[in-house]
Amino acid sequence: MKQLPFGVRCSLALQREVGRILGILWIIPIAWFMRFVMRYRIKDVKEVRSRYRKLISETETQGPVLICPNHLTMADSAVIAWALGGSWWYLFRYSRMPWNIPEYNNFSFLWFVGLGAWITKCIPVVRGGKREDVSRVVKKIEYLLRNGETALIFAEAGRSRTGKVQVGSHAQAVGRIMTAVPGCRALCVYVRGDLQETWSTVPARRDSFYVDMQIARPESTFSGMRRSRDVAQQVVARIADMEAEYFASRK
Amino acid sequence: MTREDVFLKVMEIIKPFVKDEESFQRANEGTNILQDLKVNSARLVDIILDFEDEFEIEVEDEDADSVNTVGDAVSLIMEKFAA
Repeated sequence: MKQLPFGVRCSLALQREVGRILGILWIIPIAWFMRFVMRYRIKDVKEVRSRYRKLISETETQGPVLICPNHLTMADSAVIAWALGGSWWYLFRYSRMPWNIPEYNNFSFLWFVGLGAWITKCIPVVRGGKREDVSRVVKKIEYLLRNGETALIFAEAGRSRTGKVQVGSHAQAVGRIMTAVPGCRALCVYVRGDLQETWSTVPARRDSFYVDMQIARPESTFSGMRRSRDVAQQVVARIADMEAEYFASRK
Repeated sequence: MTREDVFLKVMEIIKPFVKDEESFQRANEGTNILQDLKVNSARLVDIILDFEDEFEIEVEDEDADSVNTVGDAVSLIMEKFAA
């Protein structure tokens, strides 16, 4: 396994430390914005956080965690991070605040938005960009997971345009990371607001979120790219099952 | 198999995924698969897996990182043949 270049490792360490030092200036305000301005609520939040904290505490013995949620809105990663960890908890366990790989073009239009993304543990990626560039981002995430960090990648290749998990759509990067990082576990997360009928830019105000999570350790008999695809597809299939359970329980 | 044969086979495999027919008609080895032919990036994986089936080769994720143009795909396949 090739080590990341020294300069890249230093830049990731710098990004992490700056974000951590400034944590109180962004983690708490974002959580309060969601809670008091947007009036979002997480159902059974205590139980959700207790389950997540237990799973994450097993990282050293059971392997790193790649959070793989379904994807309906552009605020999903913030909502999920808040739902799983809680703002104060992240301040003292900063490595558990997940790294994200947002689409570069969504925030590159203003320099301070880009700076904000950098501080908040984002590694931008250009979808449909050069394969080498996408690969560099994937390798950074692999490196971070190997070094005790947590990352979040949406299992589907983009926000679901149908409002339901798209089984035929998957992010190859999920399989690639899971097969490259020894012992890596996928934390499949299904999150959905009561008011969320289909995909949107952000969840509606006063929405109340259902959150479910399950650990997956996909196995594959294939090799090469086919193996990565198989693993990624299994992760999406698991989330689709969680979605089916969600809708079944609402009947 | 000559490079020309591989090129023709590659174009045949890519065709169903192409969204820009006009660019496809005048494609050459320098044509970018994602940007010029407007192939969805997620579909590039399917294309490379089709190469595996067609040419009976095995491609790793890292090998696929070098595939941006039709010529890159042809070179990768030729390289795998030679190995």
